[in-house]
Amino acid sequence: MKIQFTVVLFLLLSISAIVGCGKKAANEVTIYVSEDQVFSEPILKDFEKETGIKVKPVFDTEEAKSTGAMNRLIAEKDNPQADVYWANEPIRAEVLKQKGVSLPYFSPNSKEIPDGYKDKEGYWTGFSARVRVLVVNAKLTDKPHSILSYTDPKWKGKAVITNPLFGTTTDQVAALFTIWGDERAKAFMEAMKKNGVRISTNNGESADLVASGESDYGLVDSDDGVNRIRQGKPIEMIYPDQGDGEVGCIVVPNAVVFIKGAPHPENAKKLIDYLLSKETERKLAFADCAQIPLHPDVQTPPDVRHISNLKTMSVNYTEVARKMTEIQPYLKNWVGY
Amino acid sequence: MARRIVLTSIFIFLTVIGLLPILMMVLRSFVADERFSLLSYQGLLTSSREWVLLSHSFALALSVAFLTTIVGVPLGILLGKTDLPLRRFFAIAFTVPLVISPYITAVGWADFFGGDGVFANVAGATVAQAAYQFLFGLAGCVLVLFSTFLPIAILLTITALRTVNPRLEEAGKIVTGWSGVLSRVTIPLIIPTISLASILTFLLTIGEFGVPNFLRYDVFAVESFVQFSAFYNFEAATAAAVPLAVITSGVLLLEWFFFRERIHQVQTFSDRTALPLIELGKFRVWMFSFVALLCIIVVIVPLIVLIARSSSVSEYVAALKVASDSLLRSLLYAALGACLLTLIGFFSGYLIHHQAMSFWRTTDTLTIFLFALPSTVIGIGLISMWNRPWTNFVYGTSAMIILGYLVKYTALTSRITASTLMLIPNSMEEAGQVAGLAWMRRIRTIVTPMAKKGILVSWLVGYIFCLRDLETTMIVYPPGHETLPVRIATLMANGSAELIAALCVIMVCATILPPAFLWMLSSLRIRNLKQ
Repeated sequence: MKIQFTVVLFLLLSISAIVGCGKKAANEVTIYVSEDQVFSEPILKDFEKETGIKVKPVFDTEEAKSTGAMNRLIAEKDNPQADVYWANEPIRAEVLKQKGVSLPYFSPNSKEIPDGYKDKEGYWTGFSARVRVLVVNAKLTDKPHSILSYTDPKWKGKAVITNPLFGTTTDQVAALFTIWGDERAKAFMEAMKKNGVRISTNNGESADLVASGESDYGLVDSDDGVNRIRQGKPIEMIYPDQGDGEVGCIVVPNAVVFIKGAPHPENAKKLIDYLLSKETERKLAFADCAQIPLHPDVQTPPDVRHISNLKTMSVNYTEVARKMTEIQPYLKNWVGY
Repeated sequence: MARRIVLTSIFIFLTVIGLLPILMMVLRSFVADERFSLLSYQGLLTSSREWVLLSHSFALALSVAFLTTIVGVPLGILLGKTDLPLRRFFAIAFTVPLVISPYITAVGWADFFGGDGVFANVAGATVAQAAYQFLFGLAGCVLVLFSTFLPIAILLTITALRTVNPRLEEAGKIVTGWSGVLSRVTIPLIIPTISLASILTFLLTIGEFGVPNFLRYDVFAVESFVQFSAFYNFEAATAAAVPLAVITSGVLLLEWFFFRERIHQVQTFSDRTALPLIELGKFRVWMFSFVALLCIIVVIVPLIVLIARSSSVSEYVAALKVASDSLLRSLLYAALGACLLTLIGFFSGYLIHHQAMSFWRTTDTLTIFLFALPSTVIGIGLISMWNRPWTNFVYGTSAMIILGYLVKYTALTSRITASTLMLIPNSMEEAGQVAGLAWMRRIRTIVTPMAKKGILVSWLVGYIFCLRDLETTMIVYPPGHETLPVRIATLMANGSAELIAALCVIMVCATILPPAFLWMLSSLRIRNLKQ
């Protein structure tokens, strides 16, 4: 009888705890995060400590190709659960704007962020950026310095690229389509394929393949490169296309988005302000993700180059987002899906 | 009347939480622009990639089912019917991989063969690199899933051996030796169970997503998840899951037609001392060495690698700091899930065993079908059904996780209960009925006390499977309520290998220790009662 009573009591308490967790408490904020948990969670914990506002996060997994959170937001458009979305690149933030999932918000902390890295209408604001870089095996004496090396017969079968259907590689390819036009971009993609490029599942794998010597070089995010260099892996990082007449490297900032119908709008704005602060940018620069601050006067470690010292690709993220959707069937075909 | 109400309610509940979401999802996949359309299935029928996925899925599932059967059945015989030393220890040790999430085992193997792993130090970098490449693909998936599902064949074989009438074997021994008895009497009698083990392994493997995804081997389960998570294409995700559902249904139908009746006809002999044991004689040492070696390879190595990688205390402190809330949540949800699974499984098992209502067979097939269905499909189905403002009391809460557990794992507790009830003579309940006891009272005062051990096993199995669940939980968990497996999966992106290894070890302890503790308590209690 005692056991039965205990089981029933446990069931009742658990069910009430579960139902209780669904009630929206006043002093909390829900954020969906595509930035790696290992880097984003400490920032969110600091926010909790400093403001006393409880943060309820949903993190993406590598398996979801960092788009699981965005897709969940789209699915929940008519039943929003999140207040804020921390995208790890601005294209998905643009997609949310186009799908009517987000609302404009001009944070006071975004004033010093260059215009190129935020939406003019305030639907998303960029901060702490990554750069698309070439990682090269340290043993190589002759090193590639341009993404055009992917089509150079000299490197036939020696390069690796992440599946362009996912993540920042999609951004890069879509950006090239907007800058070069469809014809030249498609010719580049076909030549790359003809040159025997190896396709990996994610940027981390690309960097590891280069480090192990299975591939000579690959195009990855700067945090993947810095992370592995700090781990002592034998790779070097090259910012591609920095010469005269070259396109420059593409900058991929994080982007923060205010969700339409957010259950906690005031707390959401506080969190957005916090993420866009110089202090958050400083923390992300010193973290292992080694992200580049977009505010002009933020302290960085020696291995993180400042944005003003780089030749960057001039990109219209709205146009890139539109192009990304348009070229998806082509990319699926290119990959062989 | 009470019996009819309770059992019908259980059937309706399982249909609503399990079948309805799947049906809604399938119906939705046939609609485009608010009209009937086969657009989602166009790729399925025309793309050559689908055939590659199909061949990969079959190659993996068949390889794992074949290997687990040809290794698991002899092992089951060795552990269940011979005088092999430490056979009980081995039986428990081989069960360990089943209670651990397979992707944790995969992480262990990847660490073992990795550039700075144990294997590289022993065999050299070149050999280790070749082995590492070998791991990432079909071979690695087969290795990990073989070690995970091997216990199914072993445990079912051991259980089936106990159902073989010893008199038949004794009669056989008059005319031939043990090898003849095994090949002509024992094994033919347990073939339905062996087939069940193979089928179960095949279905679990074909629906497995975590390991092929981690080891980069494209199969339908991965495709379905990517279509959902990366493209958020519900319809394409459903279409990608359809071949899996068709295969699952086909295999279940085969099992139904060929083996179900035969399994039910097997008698149970509960007196273990009456079972004749095979004396291994001069082969005892060789067999022991073989079993020990296999145990080291499939059980000990991945665990040791994880423990070695996370050897510093500071890693465990950091891991607990990062994930203590997830751990507590996991324990709570798993305990609650196990209680509900035990309750629902009990009545569902009762319905199946007693064939109490006309829909007993439908209930059995439904639970098994849901168990074999990929978790991704279940997760997507649950979201399709509950993601609405007026059902937010479910969607916005951890109830989604619990529903996922119930949909996925009721088959386990239901089958365990049905097997337990087989050991209780019907006359016991009938006596209560004659004495005028109402059905609920008979259940409470006669059936439940007699099935106590089975109920405990049911709870333990439910607890273990709920705690290790990743794939359904990852899709449906509400904000701020991630479980430990989800936390490990999200930390895998750029998280430190040492921290992840420490979290995996904590996960293994959380899975094994509470059941071990409960088991010890129950054994002590039984011993005290006997004294």
